[in-house]
Amino acid sequence: MAEIGFELRGPGTPVGTLLLELWRARDVLWALARKDFYARYRRTMLGLLWAVGLPLVQAVVLAVVFTHIVRFASALRHSPQGEHVKYAVFLYAAIAAWSYFSTTMPTAATAIVDNGALARKIYFPRAIFPLLGVASGIYPLAISAGILLLLTVALQHSVSIDFLWVVPGCALTVAITAGFGLMLSALHVYFRDVRFIVQAVMSVLFYLSPIIYAVESAPGALRHVVGATPMAGPIELMRLAIGGADSNWPAIVAGGVGWFVATTAIGLWLQSRHDRVFVDLM
Amino acid sequence: MSVISLSGVGKRYVKYDDRPLLVNHLKFWHRTSRSDLWALRNVEFDIEPGESVGILGRNGAGKSTLLQLLAGVTAPTEGVVRVRGRVAPLLSVGVGFHPELTGRENVYVNGTVLGLEKGTIDRRFDAIVEFAELEKFIDTPVKFYSSGMFVRLGFAVAVEADPDILLVDEVLAVGDFAFQMRSFERMKEIRANGATLVTVSHNLNAIRGYCDRTVVLHEGGTAFDGPTFEGISRYYQLMGQAESDDPVEAQAQVREDREALELLAFDLVDEDGQPLGHVRTGDKAALRIEARARRDIPTPFVSLMISTEKRIVIYNDTNCETPFPPIRAGERVAMQVRLPLHLVTGGYFASATVNDGTLTDHVLIARTEPVSFYVTGRGLVSGVVDLGGEFSLGPVD
Repeated sequence: MAEIGFELRGPGTPVGTLLLELWRARDVLWALARKDFYARYRRTMLGLLWAVGLPLVQAVVLAVVFTHIVRFASALRHSPQGEHVKYAVFLYAAIAAWSYFSTTMPTAATAIVDNGALARKIYFPRAIFPLLGVASGIYPLAISAGILLLLTVALQHSVSIDFLWVVPGCALTVAITAGFGLMLSALHVYFRDVRFIVQAVMSVLFYLSPIIYAVESAPGALRHVVGATPMAGPIELMRLAIGGADSNWPAIVAGGVGWFVATTAIGLWLQSRHDRVFVDLM
Repeated sequence: MSVISLSGVGKRYVKYDDRPLLVNHLKFWHRTSRSDLWALRNVEFDIEPGESVGILGRNGAGKSTLLQLLAGVTAPTEGVVRVRGRVAPLLSVGVGFHPELTGRENVYVNGTVLGLEKGTIDRRFDAIVEFAELEKFIDTPVKFYSSGMFVRLGFAVAVEADPDILLVDEVLAVGDFAFQMRSFERMKEIRANGATLVTVSHNLNAIRGYCDRTVVLHEGGTAFDGPTFEGISRYYQLMGQAESDDPVEAQAQVREDREALELLAFDLVDEDGQPLGHVRTGDKAALRIEARARRDIPTPFVSLMISTEKRIVIYNDTNCETPFPPIRAGERVAMQVRLPLHLVTGGYFASATVNDGTLTDHVLIARTEPVSFYVTGRGLVSGVVDLGGEFSLGPVD
């Protein structure tokens, strides 16, 4: 029988032990994530249809507005395949990734404090809390990816094997969000300002990320800033899927992987140092 | 090998007294005032598999911190906490229940959080529902549950999780009487299967009923670790409740000579002289004081007091009018007060003093620590004393 139990000496938990505990708690993660997801749609008449309905409405609105009302091709002028890529599809590819990030990350960042009641009663690695939202958000993200496929077929009338790029695109989106969640949720226990900093930064980041425009349409030096924002990498992967990626996409994606590695490393370090003592400050 | 082992455990909390505003940090001359608070210090004990240990202490003595350490929720500042086996905390059961989800769904979520695999929950599911008596409501969202149903379900999941270590926190008073009895039985079964029970409670009846051993915490340290009945006496001592309702003692407040007698033992014993912790209404018992005289004691007498757990004195007695024969210096004697305990269900304390002289002119030479005992009464009798009523019906003459 595997040895169950623990030995606590001093506040820190070695990173290895933390990772082992996290692995052991994987069932807890999925159970709680499923609970969150299902509980959200309970007592609604349309139930799970909302999970598909909301992003669908968003996609239809984008399609109608940008094919019939606003003719807005200038954003794509510099894109090599710009001719074939419809703006609504181009936009939705980014929005699928961004809306996951912008709804999940702020929740993840405050997750440890917000789950204080549970955290005070029973132990499992506190990193589970930020990862919870990250995991339960995967369902709607997958649905958005499906809708992106529908939208691509509907508006661009063709879809290639390239569409499979959405898989690494979604994976990197989730990974970066998880990294930020691990890092910020630990910081938030000590600095409650994090909640508001995140809110402020998110609104700036929406315009600084290449969501409503292409990286190449940003002027001069700003282009490097836009390409280096955390979500630029996943967004470019999503756009690769619909044939509208930036010519410089490998570097941008590498930047995204960099964000993931850096935030996860800092996050795990913080979590391992404070895992069992977060409770003292809640 | 111990299931729980604490060595040199200390837990320090840092309290920041001012607000963490940025301006305060920017002022280089500003010193943030922080103060340290040791909730626990140098706590050492081991708990063996199958033991049932009660933790007592006044508010702020460190009980909650200790429980959090045992649950692994927080880590010690110094020392080592070792726990072997799966811990199920019965701390505010049902935390993590989602009100919108049904009882069934919550059982699965809660069971997983307690470390059970899905297959195990499948197998135990019926037992859980049966124990909680929620067969009819298991597919109802728990927000429609009464608080009793909610707690019963949480409790059922925790006890059916077959934990190696069960941490209990003031939870034993949940549900109605029938449910409490079944919980009590279930916990006995769990213990019989070799699980360890740690109970933190202010409810001395619970501690007395469940625990063989008690650790009394005082100001962050271990003030006592030993048999429960002694632990409870120690706890009362720390609560600072001295006996003073005794008329005999009231007469002798000025004159004391604690050197005259060495107390060796004070026990409630049965007719064979065996110590009693648990009595049935009407049992013949005796309070027995064993002592050695250090000087001659010409007119020794005993004054005895029995009180309820709420410190209501129900019996005071003394033999000062017919004192014992003289005790010689160096002699070892056993003084006994035999009495039938016509008491109702509940916890009681007995304490005694040994005196020398007459009621109006005596020296108090020894005072025992209070000894506690628990009485199991007849059926529905309540009140303080069981007068043994006989019920009858007959024709009118």
